Amino acid sequence: MRFTFILLALFSLTVNAQNTAIGTNEKLVYTASYNMSGILTDIAQVTMETSPVKTSKATLLRLKCTAATYSKWDNFFRIRDLYESYVNPKTLTPYLYNRDINEGSYYKAMKYTFSHKTKTVKSIQTKRNNNIENKTISIGNSTKDIVSTLYSIRSFNFENMSKGDRQSLTIIFDRKETKAQVTYLGKETINTAIGKKECYKLAIGSNEAILQGNNSNLLWLTADVNKIIVYGKFKIPVGNGELKIKSVSGLIN
Amino acid sequence: MKKTFIVLALVSSILATIFAVLPISNLAIIPALAALIFGLVAFYLSKKTGDVKKIIQFIFLLTIVALSLTIFKAVFTTTEVADTKTLDTKETQLKEEAIEELENIDIDVEEFEDIDIAQ
Repeated sequence: MRFTFILLALFSLTVNAQNTAIGTNEKLVYTASYNMSGILTDIAQVTMETSPVKTSKATLLRLKCTAATYSKWDNFFRIRDLYESYVNPKTLTPYLYNRDINEGSYYKAMKYTFSHKTKTVKSIQTKRNNNIENKTISIGNSTKDIVSTLYSIRSFNFENMSKGDRQSLTIIFDRKETKAQVTYLGKETINTAIGKKECYKLAIGSNEAILQGNNSNLLWLTADVNKIIVYGKFKIPVGNGELKIKSVSGLIN
Repeated sequence: MKKTFIVLALVSSILATIFAVLPISNLAIIPALAALIFGLVAFYLSKKTGDVKKIIQFIFLLTIVALSLTIFKAVFTTTEVADTKTLDTKETQLKEEAIEELENIDIDVEEFEDIDIAQ
């Protein structure tokens, strides 16, 4: 669930913007840390990867996010989470979403099959002991899963936005539609593992109680054509979390 | 007063030792510093009365051990992900299932026109 907090914090806009930023063989590696009284403790490695997936009808883009705790944590609390979404490479419209989370003794798998014509999502939830639940959920026009919404944030033209501009989002998570807002806070230059970067600073707000406070969940995206997430700061019920870029490869631009 | 500082120093040093052993060893610095401060105050107060208790020496010893362990772990422990076998297996399995399922999903092919994906 901890990785879920981070992912939920990374809500993005659900406008059907055209993708010009996301490559098809991109790999972004992050370090997720927990901050207590200014002392950071590295907890897990988060990887975001893209790859093309060919079907007989079309070539889709596979967006994959994984989280794995560092070996020193494995004996105490082991996380092996996988989130993936198969999307239209142009519009990032999702067709299939998988979530498989292994956190300590907790296991949960979720599959969404999107039907954009009927505006429904067929979900299959599997828990430990093979406890399977099927459910069909009605969704709105712009509803996306968490992974595709996270990537679609990079399709927006921040140059046309001014400080304080706010966008509403709709995300389907845990078989429920969740409303969230992204506020553009302007540009900021920060030091990262991949160099000094000028970034778009965004504040993420949610109706969900797991994201606490106002403007305490922040994201920094490089202010270039790739718009990759290089830094994230999140307030969660158990403290503060940080997501820092470690390495980047396969960028389109 | 002296007793209070001894208790505070002892609790802090025990906490520092526990943190130092756990993966959150970085956090041991806070209670370790507190233990040293409380220990020094307790030592000063004890010296004034001329009765330095053995427990104060034990607190310093425990704190030094905790700090040494924290520094050792910070210098020599590499943060790396080990054993991703289950994750890799799951990933392959999910991808195979997804490709099969995507064949049966209603995809609007028109939306895909003019898309050129480099393999």
